[in-house]
Amino acid sequence: MAFNRYTRCYLALLLCAAVAVADDSSEESSSTIPSKWLCDSTDLCLPEEELMPGLGNIQPPHRYESQRDCRLSCGKYGAIWPMPTGECSLSHDRVHFDPWKVRFNVVAPNAVTTQFLRETNRLFVSNLLKECTRNCTLGNSKEVLVKATVNDSSLVLDWSTDESYMMVVRTTDTASFVDIKATTVYGARFAFETLSNLVTGSLSNGLLLVSAARVHDRPVYPHRGLLLDTARNFLPLRYLRSTLDAMAASKMNVLHWHVVDTHSFPLEITRVPEMQRYGAYSNAQTYSRIDAVNLVKYARLRGIRIMMEIDGPSHAGNGWQWGPSAGLGNMSVCLNQAPWRNYCVQPPCGQLNPLNDHMYAVLKEILEDVAELGAPEETIHMGGDEVYIPCWNRTEEITTQMKARGDDLSEASFLRLWSQFHQRNLNAWDSINQRMYPSVREPKPVILWSSRLTDPETIEQLLPKERFIIQTWVSALDPLNRNLLQRGYRLLISTKDAWYLDHGFWGSTSYYNWRKVYDNALPLDPHRGQERQVLGGEVCMWSEYVDQNSLEARIWPRAGAAAERLWSNPKSSANLAQRRFYRYRERLIARGIHPDAVVPHWCVLHEGQCL
Amino acid sequence: MCNIECCKSRKTHNTTKQQTFPYLRYLFKMSLAVSLRRALLVLLSGAIFILTVLYWNQGVIKTQAYSEAQPRLHVQRDRNIDPIPLEKSWTYKCDHDRCVRVNYHKNEDNAKRVSFISCSMTCGDINIWPHPTSKSLVSAHTLRFSVEDVHLRLDSPHRDVRKQLKLAFDWFIKELRQIQRLDYASHTDEISMAAASVSEPSFRLGLHKTDTDVAESPLAGSLFSATFGSHRVGDLDSLQVKLSVHGSDQLNFNLDNDESYKLSTTYEHRRILVHITAQTFFGARHGLSTLQQLIWYDDEERLLRTYVSSLINDEPKFRYRGLMLDTSRHFFSVDAIKRTISAMGLAKLNRFHWHITDAQSFPYISRNYPELAEHGAYSESETYSEQDVREVTEFAKIFGVQVLLEVDAPAHAGNGWDWGPKRGLGELSLCINQQPWSFYCGEPPCGQLNPKNNHTYLILQRLYEEFLKLTGPTDIFHLGGDEVNLDCWAQYFNDTDLRGLWCDFMLQSNARLKLANGNEALRHVVVWSSALTNTKCLPNSQFVVQVWGGSTWQENYDLLDNGYNVIFSHVDAWYLDCGFGSWRATGDAACSPYRTWQNVYKHRPWERMRLDNKRRKQVLGGEACLWTEQVDENQLDNRLWPRAAALAERLWSDPNDDHDFDIVPPEVFRRISLFRNRLVELGIKAEALFPKYCVQNPGECI
Repeated sequence: MAFNRYTRCYLALLLCAAVAVADDSSEESSSTIPSKWLCDSTDLCLPEEELMPGLGNIQPPHRYESQRDCRLSCGKYGAIWPMPTGECSLSHDRVHFDPWKVRFNVVAPNAVTTQFLRETNRLFVSNLLKECTRNCTLGNSKEVLVKATVNDSSLVLDWSTDESYMMVVRTTDTASFVDIKATTVYGARFAFETLSNLVTGSLSNGLLLVSAARVHDRPVYPHRGLLLDTARNFLPLRYLRSTLDAMAASKMNVLHWHVVDTHSFPLEITRVPEMQRYGAYSNAQTYSRIDAVNLVKYARLRGIRIMMEIDGPSHAGNGWQWGPSAGLGNMSVCLNQAPWRNYCVQPPCGQLNPLNDHMYAVLKEILEDVAELGAPEETIHMGGDEVYIPCWNRTEEITTQMKARGDDLSEASFLRLWSQFHQRNLNAWDSINQRMYPSVREPKPVILWSSRLTDPETIEQLLPKERFIIQTWVSALDPLNRNLLQRGYRLLISTKDAWYLDHGFWGSTSYYNWRKVYDNALPLDPHRGQERQVLGGEVCMWSEYVDQNSLEARIWPRAGAAAERLWSNPKSSANLAQRRFYRYRERLIARGIHPDAVVPHWCVLHEGQCL
Repeated sequence: MCNIECCKSRKTHNTTKQQTFPYLRYLFKMSLAVSLRRALLVLLSGAIFILTVLYWNQGVIKTQAYSEAQPRLHVQRDRNIDPIPLEKSWTYKCDHDRCVRVNYHKNEDNAKRVSFISCSMTCGDINIWPHPTSKSLVSAHTLRFSVEDVHLRLDSPHRDVRKQLKLAFDWFIKELRQIQRLDYASHTDEISMAAASVSEPSFRLGLHKTDTDVAESPLAGSLFSATFGSHRVGDLDSLQVKLSVHGSDQLNFNLDNDESYKLSTTYEHRRILVHITAQTFFGARHGLSTLQQLIWYDDEERLLRTYVSSLINDEPKFRYRGLMLDTSRHFFSVDAIKRTISAMGLAKLNRFHWHITDAQSFPYISRNYPELAEHGAYSESETYSEQDVREVTEFAKIFGVQVLLEVDAPAHAGNGWDWGPKRGLGELSLCINQQPWSFYCGEPPCGQLNPKNNHTYLILQRLYEEFLKLTGPTDIFHLGGDEVNLDCWAQYFNDTDLRGLWCDFMLQSNARLKLANGNEALRHVVVWSSALTNTKCLPNSQFVVQVWGGSTWQENYDLLDNGYNVIFSHVDAWYLDCGFGSWRATGDAACSPYRTWQNVYKHRPWERMRLDNKRRKQVLGGEACLWTEQVDENQLDNRLWPRAAALAERLWSDPNDDHDFDIVPPEVFRRISLFRNRLVELGIKAEALFPKYCVQNPGECI
């Protein structure tokens, strides 16, 4: 038996060697393919033999070794995703270099920003290495010297953070120089992201870099988000991290973490351990405090905020069951009640009890935990959608108390009750923040979903616009956005019929392919020149029908299409972006993401043939 | 990968060595102290003892050898995360045939925790997907055991059948090991790994360590118990699986293969005997699939469980239960295909229809015409060698799945066929990559074989010959034959009857198929439904039409009236690629919306069409199709599963269904949800059916 093991081991080694040898030989044969690529006058990358001779093409002067090589500089924006909003000029020449020969020079005002940029450099190199098609090392490579200069000493990341950058690449006989200038470290990080889009693997060893480039770039919208729901189905941490990686590659900057819902409560609340104990699907399907803190850090290094959502008063149930046994009364009502259609819009039911003071006390503890997790400037999403009034109306405990308070049981008084719920939590949030982060002067606005409460007719009485940002999830044709903007509310846009990534797999919803996602333009600010009201938008990944098995393919590459909408707000349609988009998708794959396929592989290889 | 494997085996070797070493030293001392003769005697008796013990435990050691020797499936790279983690916070109670979730923290009476699966398996109707068709009884009493306790007894007079059964059993054991989580890290490891995640180097280190530890410990433990006969952990001394195949020695796939089986379980003195009897290997193979679903992993005990007694009689309603994968629009690795086939085996689907080429690419490297792949494959690595195809067919046979290779012709053949003129064979295919494509084909790129070039037919004949050789003798073959664009040919030929040309092409290629099959006509030749199949030009005695049009179209009735046997693949129910929008800049999405698993499951064309008995016999079965314009390996599993499983039950058991449109009974929800868990358990990335809350609370979300 032992002998067998050794032989097997030996054989395996031999096999490995054989495979290595076979690899070598196939490499040799592939490098002898003389295929030359050209960038034609319509910005298509074509093999030389496919170039239409009749079209009056003056033979373009540059020859590229591969389609990807050609893509680097073919067209104004080359392979950069999302497209830069300012100046962008790319040379058609490329430099052959070795990623290990990239040297970094960081000029930053203090230790934390320097440290941040060093980390950025490390991540940048690891992304470069993933682009290598063959051996990364190259015998006589030019050096690439990257200098990043940052002025601002702060690491604050919010809607007012300056994310702009400029980058100049030039090449001399001895080396290539990359000069990055940005106000904040986050701007500089985006420059590195862009720089990685100027690089592709070479058919021989090493990498290719566009030899000269000038890029001035800043995002159009400061909120470029993705919602991830980890309550309907749990998502293991590594999938959250891979989502953050892909977001970083797409220059998105907010992960809206819809961490809890009626279905489950996976987040550890150190002050109230019962929440997780009663609410998680299982012990393993939880996020500990350390997990969450680490995830916030992980995101931060990739220029991403994590905005937590503790949904309420609706969408809260499992996790809140322990009230009666602890002498705190019913904190959630209609809990898991059947038949669910009488008590909520989606099973299982559950809605917080807005007349139970203990519930507010527990919720305050939860908010305190959440405040501790994030950065001092980070705010919170308070949910506030899909309150099902019949649930409250059918709960005797609530109706008797309301009558005792002198309220009737009309819809208006339930709406008032609902808005009081939010106001009370907002006060709690403010007092927590004043105590925890006295340096943050202005009270932070919080976010709510659009709902009955945000009806333009009554919203001004219920939710003050200085304190509440509304995330609308209505269809593109709905007048709600316009009405709220006119009333001076700040909005986040999650267009239901374009940016809901879960659609198309249930009910009468339909799937929105990347073109539809891309073409979804956001409403215009009505008060130009004043403070920005449309902060940006989010694509939403509700997880009823998605868990780790299909998550990545459901989100990517479509969220990337929204990323370009939010970063560049392009005037052109998806058709002009498609070749850059296909290249972007390939980059995601190289970085270990598993995006959906969008066209037959043949169409990627034969540009312009599948219109 | 290679290195890790070696480390592992070396380490285990060391442990056995250390165990034997003290005994040797003892013997050595004895030989000095007392006489040499006595030492020899002791040595001899020791050797006899060890041999006896080894002989006694032969089966156990064998099972370990299987698990060691089996190549690891591609998906196991992710094995450090248990796909269905331990759920300690809940216990379950059976209430009116439904498991109810109860928070275990609340559990005052200190009762033992009942895991979800153990409750589900003993509450309500039997949990087998697809549902057995004639008889299914299981006892309420269940027992614990470990995969090491499972032995095989073969009972068949046919040597080849025995060999094949053994292979099937080996895979059965391998999957049981996976079900018992023997290859996964424990949960605490996952949590500590997660915590260490930000500092990536240490994260990797941790991973390695747990990997080897886990792989080693159960093995070392069971080796110990094997040698010294220590007491077992479960309730059983052994679980013997007896596979009896006395009927036929048939191992070739034919449409009339008998797939029925009987399974019975009996229990006596800590021994369970599972007896699977079938007429053929194929029936026995399905019996193993069923048995696998009678066994589950109890996360409370960390052991497997099964019923003390059971009795199942089962046979399929339809003979052809297929799944089609297109490997031309996108390439799929052999690993991905094998993974798909292993899942098909569990769902008792029995035909893997491999649409191996199309106009986009030609990934198959033909022995006779390697030019096809040289000119037609996306890249050198995106190809299938003969060895690959053989590997897939042999693998599929273990799972009772036939591989049907299709080279679509005359349409859907362009890239790969462009080298004719260079070799002096004339144009083999016409309109290759011609623009504007919408004039000459259904989707870019265009390409349609030249019906007036004898070399085209010769190449097809050689390809058919290779395919038949690779997949083994059979009575069914797929010729393609759909979506011919007559305008393409009209550019070259001024025949008035271009449709006649198409018909001649099909007849000619059928003649070539006969030649390729040693001049023996195949009993069934499948073609896709098209304008041609409405003309009766193809003889209905031999041709089978795979109907892919709408289920309400007139052609459904006409084809049956015209006497054709049919396989249903209705686009409005069984096309799994639909619903992802148009992939081109122009044009609408061809077949939105997405077909949910309920759509797939509820589709019963034979009922809706009210077929009489004669016509019902003409329905050979059905097939779900996955065209891959918008699918590649990244999401293959979740496009196919669990929807293909919904089809599997429709075709195997065809359960009655008097519910309204779109409503599936709660019982089916419960069973398919468990089946989906089983797929995930085996590393198939099946899509979620609903929130996990609904999995844990059966019936509450309907």
